Amino acid sequence: MKQLLGQIIRSREFLVLVLLALMVLAVSTVNSAVLKPVTLINIINSSLFLMLIATGQMFVILTRGIDVSVGATAGLSAVVFGFALNAGIPLPIAMLTALLTGAAAGAVNAVGIVFGKIPPIIMTLGTLGIYRGLMRMLTGGSWIESIPQSIKSFAVTRFLFLPLMVWAMIGVVILVVVLMRRIKAARFFYAVGDNREGAYLLGIPVRSTEFMAYTLAGLFSGAAAIVFVGQIGFVPMQTGSGQELKAIAAVVLGGVSLMGGVGTVFSAVIGALFLTTVDSMMIFLKIPGSWNDAVAGAVLLIVVVSDYMIRRTVRARQLNARAKEIAISEQTTSNHQTTKVSP
Amino acid sequence: MLAVVLVVELGVLGTINPVFLNYQNLLFSTSDFVPVIIAAIGLTLVIMTGGIDISGVSVMGLSSIVLGLSFVAGAPIGFAVLIALGTGTAAGAFNGTVVARTDINPLVVTLAMLFFYSGVAAGLPTLLDVLGFKAYGAGGFEAYQYEGITGLPDSFIWLGNGMIGPVPMPLVLTILITIAASWLMLFTRFGRFLKLIGVNKDAAIYSGVPVGRTLVRVYAINGFTAAVAGLVLTAYFTSARSDLGSEALLNIITAVVLGGSSIYGGQGSVLGTFLAGLVLGYLRQGLLALGITSNIIPIIVGGLLISSVGFKILSGYLNEKRANQRAYSRERLTVNKSEG
Repeated sequence: MKQLLGQIIRSREFLVLVLLALMVLAVSTVNSAVLKPVTLINIINSSLFLMLIATGQMFVILTRGIDVSVGATAGLSAVVFGFALNAGIPLPIAMLTALLTGAAAGAVNAVGIVFGKIPPIIMTLGTLGIYRGLMRMLTGGSWIESIPQSIKSFAVTRFLFLPLMVWAMIGVVILVVVLMRRIKAARFFYAVGDNREGAYLLGIPVRSTEFMAYTLAGLFSGAAAIVFVGQIGFVPMQTGSGQELKAIAAVVLGGVSLMGGVGTVFSAVIGALFLTTVDSMMIFLKIPGSWNDAVAGAVLLIVVVSDYMIRRTVRARQLNARAKEIAISEQTTSNHQTTKVSP
Repeated sequence: MLAVVLVVELGVLGTINPVFLNYQNLLFSTSDFVPVIIAAIGLTLVIMTGGIDISGVSVMGLSSIVLGLSFVAGAPIGFAVLIALGTGTAAGAFNGTVVARTDINPLVVTLAMLFFYSGVAAGLPTLLDVLGFKAYGAGGFEAYQYEGITGLPDSFIWLGNGMIGPVPMPLVLTILITIAASWLMLFTRFGRFLKLIGVNKDAAIYSGVPVGRTLVRVYAINGFTAAVAGLVLTAYFTSARSDLGSEALLNIITAVVLGGSSIYGGQGSVLGTFLAGLVLGYLRQGLLALGITSNIIPIIVGGLLISSVGFKILSGYLNEKRANQRAYSRERLTVNKSEG
């Protein structure tokens, strides 16, 4: 138990969570309205979209890939979801359609990357354009409105103070955590990302693991689309635009390494929460919203650079300790030798 | 190869729509897309080293807004241009410093800076407003948000809309930058260093290449070209805006990759990027001239990006297979001879 606690305290996720709490507290000294439950719930509520696409992104980055098409995938799924609802398809089936659209879009990425051996950033940058173009083509460039407003009931209905969607998100996080712990195949994401050749030689199905990662990224983008449409009740053309980079930033902020093999769901969720909170805090400090990106960028840079410096110091300390050990052992052996030789 | 593609493309578009194929149209339509080429040339040098800098698209907006603000703050236009170019170069150099000094993935560094620079560009005008500069004329800040900073002098607008002989200024600038960057790549030690770092960074360090300094410089060059691209766009639209270029990332990277650069570094050519940029730009113009809506164009650009890399990978695979087969049959031959 104690060991687990120590692990948690030393993790990057915890560091970011502490920073997050400090930031909220600091802002509350200026404007105490921040600490009202309503505000906090609103912040969580508005970070759901980013949390979901960041979680999907996490699987891809774990395998040392990258997916810059998740925002466009979410947009495409949102359009399909909107069409499905407008066609009078019952809600559960419409949701399934949106999820499948996302998963299919992810699978297309996977085909190019896994079987076509196209570098992930190129493939997904290409599909970013393709999905965004498809989205505009399907709608003719106009917004999808007149969606049955019953869809918004999900976002509005509350259960134990929290909107249903927040509960759903908590459920998703718990589900993913449990699955990642319990299913053997979940470890494959880490293995493939950490050492692809090693994983291959161990008999891990590298290709299907990568395929799965991109499909999951698409699936989660589909889920994000459902949340988005549920919250605002229509589908604007900008849906998901620019969110792919935000998702990568969130995941990296939360401690997932782009070199693969490091990170958890909490990284994605906490990172997304952090970025959304930054946006909200600006409002409470009465700073114009146009500075949001500057703060988000600065935070991301500071976190990754300080992470690097901590790693470097730890490494230097380890090496120093090692050098001392060697020096001592050399001394003793040389002493030993002199005593042997002298008589 | 790309030159052939360009000629074929122009030929096909020209036969479908003869109006498209007159030299004046061909020259003038370049002004719409050459800023992408200018930014892509800087990125080509960065990608040579195996790095990447996606923050260029934000630097375009940043340099544009810095130019506009220093002009309304009273700087002569020439000085304002220098400040804007200096800002872009410094922004790039900062990226390079972080990339060179740490082991953080360049994509992460420049992602953070992409947000940072675009946020600063978007925020600066509001800051001036708070500080009490009446920078935006009678319309005030509201008007600025829609129009950008207008009223730039003609000598600056000339950069975007002027001509030297029959050639529009933006194209002249692009060609100059292409020549300068090609010279850097092909005829200087710096160019060799870029390639060596891209092929094998460790080997470069061990053979005494000043890796850190080279990286800082190449990212600074990228910042500079992005700033030039931003200024050309500003002059072309006759208004300074912070969100210039925010949609250009896909086009810029496509131009670099289509131009033959490998995203893994060590391979690439400035001329290739230039030609690929022309191919992409004319494709866009041609399709628009044929009445295809701009909605479909990202689909085509994206498809082109994927298929060009896919084609390269496939042809590499086939070449290797053929070489192996040839070697194998040669081996068989000598074995047969020695046995016979």
